[in-house]
Amino acid sequence: MLEIKNLHVKLADEDKVILDGLDLVVPKGEVHAIMGPNGSGKSTLAYVLAGRAGYEVTDGDILWNGESLLEMAPDERAAAGVFLAFQYPMEIPGVAGLTFLRTATNAVRKKRGLEELTTPEFMKVVRGKAAALNIDFEMLKRPVNVGFSGGEKKRSEILQMAMLEPSLCVLDETDSGLDIDALKIVSDGVNALRSPDRSMLVITHYQRLLDYIVPDKVHVLARGRIQTTGDKDLAKELEKSGYAGFVDAA
Amino acid sequence: MDGRSVEDNMPVAVIKTKSELALSEQFQAALPSLPGGPEVATHRRAAIAAFTEFGLPHRRIEDWKYTDLRTALKDPALPSVDATAKLTVADLIVALGPFMNMDAARIVFVNGHFRAALSNVTGTDTITVTPLSASFDSLSPLSTDAITALNTAFVTDGAVIDIPDGVTLEQPLLVVSLSVGRDARLSTIRNRISVGAGASATIAELYLTLPGSTVDGQTNALTEVTISRGATLTHVKALSEGGRATHLSNWNVSLGAEANYRAFQLSSGVALARNQIGVTFTGEHAKIDVSGTFLGRGSDHIDTTLTVDHAVPHCESRELFAGVLDGHARGIFQGKIIVRPHAQKSDGKMMARALMLSPDAEFDSKPELEIYADDVVCGHGSTAAELDEDLMFYCQSRGIPAAEARALLVKSFIGEAIARVDNEAVRTALEACADAWLAQDQTNSAVT
Repeated sequence: MLEIKNLHVKLADEDKVILDGLDLVVPKGEVHAIMGPNGSGKSTLAYVLAGRAGYEVTDGDILWNGESLLEMAPDERAAAGVFLAFQYPMEIPGVAGLTFLRTATNAVRKKRGLEELTTPEFMKVVRGKAAALNIDFEMLKRPVNVGFSGGEKKRSEILQMAMLEPSLCVLDETDSGLDIDALKIVSDGVNALRSPDRSMLVITHYQRLLDYIVPDKVHVLARGRIQTTGDKDLAKELEKSGYAGFVDAA
Repeated sequence: MDGRSVEDNMPVAVIKTKSELALSEQFQAALPSLPGGPEVATHRRAAIAAFTEFGLPHRRIEDWKYTDLRTALKDPALPSVDATAKLTVADLIVALGPFMNMDAARIVFVNGHFRAALSNVTGTDTITVTPLSASFDSLSPLSTDAITALNTAFVTDGAVIDIPDGVTLEQPLLVVSLSVGRDARLSTIRNRISVGAGASATIAELYLTLPGSTVDGQTNALTEVTISRGATLTHVKALSEGGRATHLSNWNVSLGAEANYRAFQLSSGVALARNQIGVTFTGEHAKIDVSGTFLGRGSDHIDTTLTVDHAVPHCESRELFAGVLDGHARGIFQGKIIVRPHAQKSDGKMMARALMLSPDAEFDSKPELEIYADDVVCGHGSTAAELDEDLMFYCQSRGIPAAEARALLVKSFIGEAIARVDNEAVRTALEACADAWLAQDQTNSAVT
């Protein structure tokens, strides 16, 4: 279970407050969506969960299965089960996709006290998961994300997620830059990972993604905190009314 | 000073440094034991005379602005005359490291002397590979370059490789130069590579040492390369002679029409290196890719000075040098592309990049384009940057610990350059060399 309590976050080198007393609970096995206008702090929330530098938590806490994430390095959080699918996945020239996947998978397995995968084991697993995501295996021999289309990058993120077997998936604007076919493939990939043991936080600006990844709850994030919470129909209402009411509200 | 105008008209009396004097004296002492007949001795004397006149290059000479040999080369070593230093094949295997894993012929020199027992040229019967010492009849004409002059004066051996017209050498040929021993020593190597028309080969020069024998080895290596019409040469150099070694080198390459030259130099594990590369196009529609990587830490100083001479039209040149600099290391890239007045349709692109791992590291990049023709495409670029924090976060968010992520990203940076080596076995070995260099860093940080 993810528990975010009274989270206050500012930029480390500026006085700008981004999250201002955010409370959120995502129980085990549930999928929650975070929606909100641009600049409301959605991506900041994703980054703070994953432990990116540049932000300062001035108050509050983030508990994952009862343990605070705040003092953990990003790789320790990954080992604890946190995975962030980036809005803009990074390109790593000179490192083959398979090398990267294997390094990451085994680093995480090692920290979780599991046996590292041998090359044949790894290849078998990655082949199966890549095929399910409609990823050409040859693509994984190329440097990570270099020269990939928007859709290929997002599928590559979901493949990493599938390989690392996280228990908390944070998807940051996974729908951005995707056409409808790519959106369907990516959503199928995410849905395949839904399980009673896995919580998901789906961050999106648009309702569209939530037609494919149907959430248990929808939260509206504006002005640094959750303004309202509802079921999947809330997303549809927002699509009609927009976020204006939340931005203007006192 | 009132005497200034008078001095201007007089021969300048340059004060010789201790090392310049020592080099001249050492030459007189070493000459009787150096190989070659009377003609070679004459060339050697002429070379040392020229050197004595010019002296060691220093920072007031533009090409040597960043690498002042007058201050850097304080204690020149004597040429090693001992051709019997004990070295077994087992030692060689240790020294070759990743290069041992490939199917390759090899000619081996130890401290500048050919070692038949360590060499293995099976599979090279279509070409000629001999030690220079077997037929030491002449040395190339005089040069104004101090390193070349010293090479001519002190050279003891090297590989003479002749690939006849139309022959394809299937497996790579390694030219191995080992610098070993507990005493300071000078190894002077001169290689000659001649690739006949339509021929094709992969040749890798390896300048290596043995663990525990890294005491101030000094190497001076010169390779003359002639590539005939339509021939292809992949020419690689891996340098790792030990943390206190000095390495001075020249590659002088001339390539004919429609020839293809693919060169790569990896420099690591050396205190002071000056790698000079000069490539001249002598026939049209030829192509080169001269690239490399330099890896420095501590107070390493690695200088690559490159000149590409588009002396004829319709040739293409590509250069990419990528350096990783940690500690107080200093990397230098001087790259000059010359396009002669009639060399129209020349196409040149040069890039130098440095990854700065420490605020105290320094990268000096000096690209120069000298273009005298008007219908050409030439460009150059240079960057120096720290490790990308966003990329670090990306790797760490995938569970890769910081130290491993850092190594992966440095490897990625180097890997992009090494990817230009087309021979897979050689490329894999070069990657292993880079990995070994990176692993040393992790060992060091584990200790501290």
